[in-house]
Amino acid sequence: MNSSPLIDVSALGKRFAHRSASAPLTWRTFLRGWHQPPRPPFWALRNLSFSVRAGEMLGVIGRNGAGKSTLLNLLAGVIHPTEGRVSVHGRIGALLELGGGFADDLTGRENAIVAGVTAGLTRREVYSRFDDIVAFAELSEFIDEPVRTYSTGMRMRLAFAVAVHTRPDVLLVDEFLAVGDLAFQARCRSRIAELRAGGCAIVLVSHGMGDVRDTCDRVLWLRDGEIAAFGSPAMVTATYEAEMHRRTLHLSPTIPSESSHDPDGFPGKRVGSREMEITSVRLLSGSTVRSGAPFSVEIVYRGGRPALTPIFVVSITSEDGRVCLDTNTEAARLSTERLSPTGTIRFTIPRLELAAGRYFANAGIFHRDWDHAYDHHWHAYPFSVDGAPAHRGVIAPVCQWDVPTIAPAPTPVSLSSI
Amino acid sequence: MNPTAGAVSLGRRRSLEHGLDVLAVLVSRDLKLLYKRSALGFGWALLHPLIQVCVFVLIFRGFLGGKVENYASYVFIGVLVWGWFQTSLAQSTSLITSSRALLRQPRFPLSLLPLVTVAVRLFHFSLALPILVALLWMQGIRPTSAWLGLPLLIAIQFALITAFALPLAALNVRVRDTQHFVGVTLQLAMYLTPVFYSIDSLPARLGRWLEINPVVPLLEGWRSILLRGEWPDPGRLGILACASAVLLVLGHRIFVHQSRRFVEEL
Repeated sequence: MNSSPLIDVSALGKRFAHRSASAPLTWRTFLRGWHQPPRPPFWALRNLSFSVRAGEMLGVIGRNGAGKSTLLNLLAGVIHPTEGRVSVHGRIGALLELGGGFADDLTGRENAIVAGVTAGLTRREVYSRFDDIVAFAELSEFIDEPVRTYSTGMRMRLAFAVAVHTRPDVLLVDEFLAVGDLAFQARCRSRIAELRAGGCAIVLVSHGMGDVRDTCDRVLWLRDGEIAAFGSPAMVTATYEAEMHRRTLHLSPTIPSESSHDPDGFPGKRVGSREMEITSVRLLSGSTVRSGAPFSVEIVYRGGRPALTPIFVVSITSEDGRVCLDTNTEAARLSTERLSPTGTIRFTIPRLELAAGRYFANAGIFHRDWDHAYDHHWHAYPFSVDGAPAHRGVIAPVCQWDVPTIAPAPTPVSLSSI
Repeated sequence: MNPTAGAVSLGRRRSLEHGLDVLAVLVSRDLKLLYKRSALGFGWALLHPLIQVCVFVLIFRGFLGGKVENYASYVFIGVLVWGWFQTSLAQSTSLITSSRALLRQPRFPLSLLPLVTVAVRLFHFSLALPILVALLWMQGIRPTSAWLGLPLLIAIQFALITAFALPLAALNVRVRDTQHFVGVTLQLAMYLTPVFYSIDSLPARLGRWLEINPVVPLLEGWRSILLRGEWPDPGRLGILACASAVLLVLGHRIFVHQSRRFVEEL
């Protein structure tokens, strides 16, 4: 496989003029603009560096306004960086505004040809792939009908079909899984997997954590235009989900403080701003726990200050990133106002009634309003559970059945079972 | 041959082929969109200049017809040549602001868009030419070897219009007043162009000023070829061709420079 990256981004920054100034100028403001000092610009993206190689898939997550679309536009080359560098090699395919350029009065065929040619194919190339495009979009009966008669799903299917048949080297995708019905979505996924196997580098912007976790090789989390975390899908999505969940539960007016990505020591398994740090985590119950036996963890921290009043979090996740337990000191109504600056926290579950399997214990310290993580260790501390009853599912408690029966009649079957 | 040079020339040939395909596909799209759902179809493209010609001839023949031979053909040439210029520029101003989807297409050669508009209007222009030739025939005019110069006139006019269309399309993204300003200016400019009158019929002092109008040499070229069967004055057309080429390069530069900010501005 080609070792040089297809997408290379270094120290990328994009500054926009103030939002309201993006409205078109009139002559009056145009002339006045020379005299008035410009309003303060804002950075939509700052300090981004990453690369994506052939066959690799990068997920980009973050809240609305975090800079995801700006990043896609910069990668597509339709806007240009204020600082730093973006280089993208090869043909770029974009699944951004699907079907936005279709003309209502033209037929599906005419629109598909226009879309293919404007996406970078010659007419000959479009004609030679046309049957595949129509078959993929499942529109063979309607291809000569005007697009105004199409449903939204049909339009998107056609647009998607054209875009994936341009054989791009780099594919930029914005929420592709919202296209069409479930069967079509499955085909989209497998087509994207095919492109990827063929060496296409893919950038997927999505709010669907499941898709990001299942399909991406690495995940970039953007918060206010900067990298909040960058690493393995399981770790980044879980931290993101935890933070988003908490944000919705604890809407706070606090402005998020600076946080940075620093994987030292725990490559790919640690995120947080490090205002407080977890220096060690020990599984007191050992690396193998018997189902139903006690489980306890010791967390050593430092950097506590009276002003912080942080929240401590412990969670248990299965190997595939499924959360089995996620609890914290706030849920336990435990105050950390008089927390000592350094110390050891102990967390105990008297009976760990988990199904047999391999798990991770995760520990984190969060901002008091769940604004961001100070330090979060994710999937760094494995343990396994054994000796559980053979149930299916995540929990394996001791179970009891009560079955109502009719009056017993002695039969040969019951005799033989005795 | 060195293999990289081969790859480069192959890449160039492909991008040229692609550029031509983009033009062809977008021109045909625009034409279909204009006429697909209308009963009269391309008839409208002819009706518009014909009505204009009728109006001018009916109103002005009395004043000016005596001084100009074959007045109807004279006006028809004026209406067609000026019409191509005016409608192309008027439409090109709103070109970028109305093509949002294409702006977001990675690596799409946006500077082809003004060419599409100019070419669509050229198509309309060409549709009316047979009617003009028929009119000339009825007035007793027969083709001469000078008619071979017509494609050259068309090429110069194409370059001239595109040279103006590129910066205007780009400017309208930033300053929306451009499209209104251009519309009004073109309307006034028609009266400063000898569409239905002849410069000779004006006072010489005024006539000299009209010579700076770049459409004037083109109109004279068409009229010289079609009405008098003579090759036009190569000096003035040569100057116009050079000026158009310089303006085209300049306009293209301005457009490409501005195009880096299109998506942000919209």
